[in-house]
Amino acid sequence: MINFLTDNNLNSYFFGVTKFFFIICSVLYLVFALIVIKQVSSMSKSVKDKFNTILIIFSYLHLAFSIFLILTTIGL
Amino acid sequence: MNRSKDLDTIAPDDDVISQSVAKATQEPPLKKKDTKTEIKIEKPSVENLTQKIYHILGHTKSPFSSFLVRPKVLKFTEQDDEEEIFLAARPHFITNISWICLAIIMLFVPLFFKYFSFLDIFPAQYQFTLRLFWYLFTFMYAFENFLSWYFDVFLVTDERVVDIEFNNLLNKHFAEADLSKIQDVSSSVRGVLGTFLNYGNVLIQTASETNQITFENVPNPEKIIKLIEELRDLEKQKGETKND
Repeated sequence: MINFLTDNNLNSYFFGVTKFFFIICSVLYLVFALIVIKQVSSMSKSVKDKFNTILIIFSYLHLAFSIFLILTTIGL
Repeated sequence: MNRSKDLDTIAPDDDVISQSVAKATQEPPLKKKDTKTEIKIEKPSVENLTQKIYHILGHTKSPFSSFLVRPKVLKFTEQDDEEEIFLAARPHFITNISWICLAIIMLFVPLFFKYFSFLDIFPAQYQFTLRLFWYLFTFMYAFENFLSWYFDVFLVTDERVVDIEFNNLLNKHFAEADLSKIQDVSSSVRGVLGTFLNYGNVLIQTASETNQITFENVPNPEKIIKLIEELRDLEKQKGETKND
């Protein structure tokens, strides 16, 4: 019991929980980014305008960054 | 026995008779002239209408403007093939100022991370992830708000009035009312900014299923009212001529 509560164990336990929390958040964020892409494309279909393509590109860039976020959190 | 015909054949040089006969024979071509003039009247009326629209609304070119007069690129799904958009309005750009300010503040927050001592317990890689997450969240906040503004469109076409709105990126709201079914149009300009920058709400009462359509925070509400009234009168005139 005493061994379990050593500083190293506590640290690894704390960072493990933090990492798990980061991964959950980034996965949720990825889902959100996917919803944004879907929504932007449906909005663009609904109201066709000059800058819709730029907005779609932005939403895909956002997805790319959210995937990068997941990879970073897994690599922690 | 038709006397005029006889006289014409007997004495064709007689002025009175020859004129009456000539008039009788000229009647059908006169009708043709009438139809031509009718067509000639219709064409300038369309040009007059567009001129009238420009006179009421003025010209706007920027695609990010909140007040687009006869936008050529903008279209919507429910639009008919021959339906023309006379006005596309979004809420005034100044209504975005609150989220723009907040996004700018959020952008600078990571610079103050070093003052939070509790973050020092995390290794550099954790701090980097936290910053990345924060910046993405800030971007998303700004992007979502921009999309809500950009796709919140009020349209006045030659047939109807349309309100397209997206709430929280997940709900689409579409409301329309035929110009002929519009009963009453009113506007309200509120607050200091609204008065200074001339934007407000336009309220349209209709006889259709959607009883009320509200254009919120649109620029130049008085011009929009004038345009709708003008188009409504034109629609009524069209209806009356059809009935006749």
